[in-house]
Amino acid sequence: MPWFLHLALRQLFPPGKRFPAFATVSILGVALGVASLLVVQTVMNGFGEEHRLRIRESFGDCLVTGPAPIEKPEALAKELAARPEVASASLFAEGPALARNGDFSGIAQVRGIDPTDPGQPARKYVYGGRFDDLDDGRIILGVGLARALRVRIGDRVEVWSPAMAERAEKGKAPLPAEFEVCAVIQTGFTEVDNAAALIPLRRFREIWNLGPRAHGLTLRLKEPALAAATAGRLAVGHPELRFRPWQDIKKDFLEAIRFEKTMLFFLMFIITLVASFSIGSTLFSAVIRRSREVGVLASLGAARWQVVALFGLQGLLIGALGTLLGFLLTWTILSFRDGILGAINSLFGGGDMVANVYQFSKVPLHYDASDFFIAAAFTLLTTAIAGLVPALWAAGRKPSEAMRDA
Amino acid sequence: MPDIVLQARGLAKAFASPAGRLPVLTDVSLEVFAGESVSIRGSSGSGKTTLLQQLGGLDQPDAGEVRILAPGAGLVAPRSSLGRGVGFVFQNYQLMPELTALENVALAARVAGASASSATEAARALLVQVGLGARLEHLPAKLSGGECQRVAIARALVNRPSLILADEPTGNLDERTGAEIMDLLLGVVADRGAALILVTHSREFAERAARRFVLSGGVLSPA
Ligand SMILES: Nc1ncnc2c1ncn2[C@@H]1O[C@H](COP(=O)(O)OP(=O)(O)OP(=O)(O)O)[C@@H](O)[C@H]1O
Ligand SMILES: [Mg+2]
Repeated sequence: MPWFLHLALRQLFPPGKRFPAFATVSILGVALGVASLLVVQTVMNGFGEEHRLRIRESFGDCLVTGPAPIEKPEALAKELAARPEVASASLFAEGPALARNGDFSGIAQVRGIDPTDPGQPARKYVYGGRFDDLDDGRIILGVGLARALRVRIGDRVEVWSPAMAERAEKGKAPLPAEFEVCAVIQTGFTEVDNAAALIPLRRFREIWNLGPRAHGLTLRLKEPALAAATAGRLAVGHPELRFRPWQDIKKDFLEAIRFEKTMLFFLMFIITLVASFSIGSTLFSAVIRRSREVGVLASLGAARWQVVALFGLQGLLIGALGTLLGFLLTWTILSFRDGILGAINSLFGGGDMVANVYQFSKVPLHYDASDFFIAAAFTLLTTAIAGLVPALWAAGRKPSEAMRDA
Repeated sequence: MPDIVLQARGLAKAFASPAGRLPVLTDVSLEVFAGESVSIRGSSGSGKTTLLQQLGGLDQPDAGEVRILAPGAGLVAPRSSLGRGVGFVFQNYQLMPELTALENVALAARVAGASASSATEAARALLVQVGLGARLEHLPAKLSGGECQRVAIARALVNRPSLILADEPTGNLDERTGAEIMDLLLGVVADRGAALILVTHSREFAERAARRFVLSGGVLSPA
């Protein structure tokens, strides 16, 4: 160990002192800055991931549509499913309808699905009732829609599709389709939960007069992250169809999440910057207090760069230890996040935001190594500068004058 | 004839002050030979500390030239002999408060490039020699003034310099301790074959040096 590192450690953690105030306070300051940055980023990532997952579950990794309903969807599905990039392909049919229960009605986004598909994402969000009860006479509703219609499991709803208007034009009496509610789903996407209505694809085709056609296909890909490139490749040979990767489907929404994360990063970064400034000012006063020692080191033959290293390293050490402690603190806070949130809610009497607004059962998390890397790099850089500025000042002084300081 | 360890010619130094330039040293020349002791007396403010700083390379004179014998390098500018050719002893010891007695002495050797183990060995031997064998792990705050000055003397000697510059080494000590420190300083310096320039207010201590000077009016004259 070079002597200046040894001395730097001793000056930061003086022997015989159980509580090295300067080091402790500075390291804690950095740790709090780093932790607040990383907690926010990790939770933001969590929300982002959760939303991305739900988008993918609702629309697949890639949505295939055309200017008109697809004529032979089963054949197309078979062809696309055979591609190596594609994990599975399923038919997609969706349209708005009026759902009614006596005096109560609402706009339903009805979707035709395959009730026997074990990978059907809606299975994961069943909130009441049973998904497997879905058959030609039954319907699954989003929880918000069910509430608007005042229906429970076992109650009946009427569905009026636009195709029925066609019937009326032709002079026939339009008859609504009747369903019994067999399950309620809650995805956490208000937009989905307030409108979703799932019925078997067979019934959907009947009610919408689709015949053998479907509105499109949803594809699951083996590499969802590469959806954009894969979509481009799949589109070759199908000029009449549109292949939209999931990243495009809710582009504005995803952009908004990313922007929010960036903004929060800058806000939180300012916190670490403030911590670094306080280190800088404390180190400055420490260096001034040690003026005579700087002179003594010069009289012992210490080079300028070694004096710079002595004080610069103290800033860097504080930064490094603070970053490590900050990582630890982040992990601790996030591990107990639900308890902490519960305590805050009971303290301030707020309702459970996560459940009520975001409708997630837990605060979602997603650890991203690059966040940790960026936080560490920024913190080390700023604390190193905070140590370097006073260090350069100290090393630039004449030893004869430094030693005259009280 | 013994080797010359310090050669200063025509040193001058003035400081800026609100009342204009304040000349402190006007024309100082001095030669010191290996193993010899030289004392410098002078009233407070006469420029003794300033002179030692010019001689030891802690400051640059306005005019004149200093050469110091650095082991293995011949006569060099004092700046480049710091820590090896010259050792300093200060009135208020100037020890590193966070380092033990042993580490304070070893630090000087480490700064001069010694390995950790050889620095510690040399430091231990010197501290035993100055009578602090039982205080190696003490922090300066836990040592008496006399003990601190013994540590400082050991530190000044650890790199085997050819010259020790001591600025009022007994100034903060009572008479008896001061006398002990003087005995020690003269003893170990002679023992190691180093030369000594001793700045002191005490006529009695000054008398113990082989050659004696008085600094007054910016010039050095034999006492
Ligand atoms: N950096 C400086 N700037 C301005 N004046 C200085 C500076 N250093 C020393 N002086 C002046 O130079 C003169 C000599 O100072 P110096 O410390 O060398 O005296 P000294 O002989 O060591 O005194 P003492 O016996 O009290 O230690 C003093 O008048 C002091 O005010
Ligand atoms: Mg003085």
